[in-house]
Amino acid sequence: QNILTVCFLVGYSAVALNHVIDFKEKKQEIIKPVSPSELFPSLPIVQGTSKRIKVLTRLTLVVSDPSHCNLLRSTSANIRLYDIIAVFPKTEKLFHIACTTLDVDLVCINVTEKLPFYFRRPPVNMAIDRGIYFELLYTPAIKDSTMRRYTISNAISLMQICKGKVSENKVIKSPLELRGPYDVANLGLLFGLSEGEAKAAVSTNCRATMLHGETRKSACGVVYTVKKPRKVEEEETAVPACKKAKTQA
Amino acid sequence: AALSRRYVLCEVVSEDPRCRQCIEDRALGLAVRDAITRVHGDYGLACCSISFTVKYLNAYTGTVLLRCRKDSYRLLCSALPFVRFLESRGQRYPCFLNTLHVGGTIRTCQKFLIQYNRTQLLRLLQNCTNEEERQCIQKSLLSCSLTEEQSQIRDEEDDDGTE
Repeated sequence: QNILTVCFLVGYSAVALNHVIDFKEKKQEIIKPVSPSELFPSLPIVQGTSKRIKVLTRLTLVVSDPSHCNLLRSTSANIRLYDIIAVFPKTEKLFHIACTTLDVDLVCINVTEKLPFYFRRPPVNMAIDRGIYFELLYTPAIKDSTMRRYTISNAISLMQICKGKVSENKVIKSPLELRGPYDVANLGLLFGLSEGEAKAAVSTNCRATMLHGETRKSACGVVYTVKKPRKVEEEETAVPACKKAKTQA
Repeated sequence: AALSRRYVLCEVVSEDPRCRQCIEDRALGLAVRDAITRVHGDYGLACCSISFTVKYLNAYTGTVLLRCRKDSYRLLCSALPFVRFLESRGQRYPCFLNTLHVGGTIRTCQKFLIQYNRTQLLRLLQNCTNEEERQCIQKSLLSCSLTEEQSQIRDEEDDDGTE
């Protein structure tokens, strides 16, 4: 909770609580995500704007075997409850599957080690067409010097392949590992992005990922009905998630 | 102008309230230079040191204004996320720097800072429990202006101190 307070202070307008599922361990059940309203009775207002911060739930699946992907295809009700789904492929084949067929919003790339596979252009292009973004974590770079070297070299090669369709993220265990959005955009410059791309990596791309998650939850992203306590409204979200921002439900 | 400079406005964010006490220009300058060396090496440090100073410090609000050459401000800005702690008088406090604004003159940074402090006060106003503190902050908010900014910034800080 402390971490989130600092997030609000620094100016993030949306935060996702991550839940990691690693299939190497014994059979894991996808549990219902913790509802954000249970954690915070009232969400504070973002620094610098007048809107409240958004807390989303996110699921990260660490897949090292094709059978793990079946979970995504199943109609388990709990998966639908998460706002964003990310997958962390461990092999090249899985990377290919994740980019082309899996129904996810983000593909995580581990930049702290020498990657076991090279990125190839066709699956990356397909992922971009489908609206999937790639994610890299920058927290290891802050802590350790060897991590930093790996992070930068892997990040640069990633950027060259996926033409900047990246969203920079962090996994933080303590509030001190957090960095403000302006600083994260500056880190993007280190990773080889141009200024506009670096800013987008923190803002527009993340927003597009959120919208992608929304369209995934709704019926094929065409019609999205919301029942308000006062009246019933119908909203249409455009099929490509990165089009205009959705109107507030 | 031939000698163009950039002024980077940051905020020191820390969990430990004692960290604010060791916000002083030497400690901060050392921390930033150390981060630049780690990230950009000797070349980076040399480039950034040409016109590098800590221009303004505010221990109450944790605001810091750094100055550097226009040619090397990118090196400086990209190294700022790598500052992990401040050290002074033998004490080391973990913290991080949050970049608020980069401007070409001190005046633009000042304008931004006033605006920023105003929103900060508003935020503190929401968390006010005491009616007296509420009155105090409202008074400072209403009396914010650019012309007497030095004394105003000091007034706002005192309120932050009493929070």
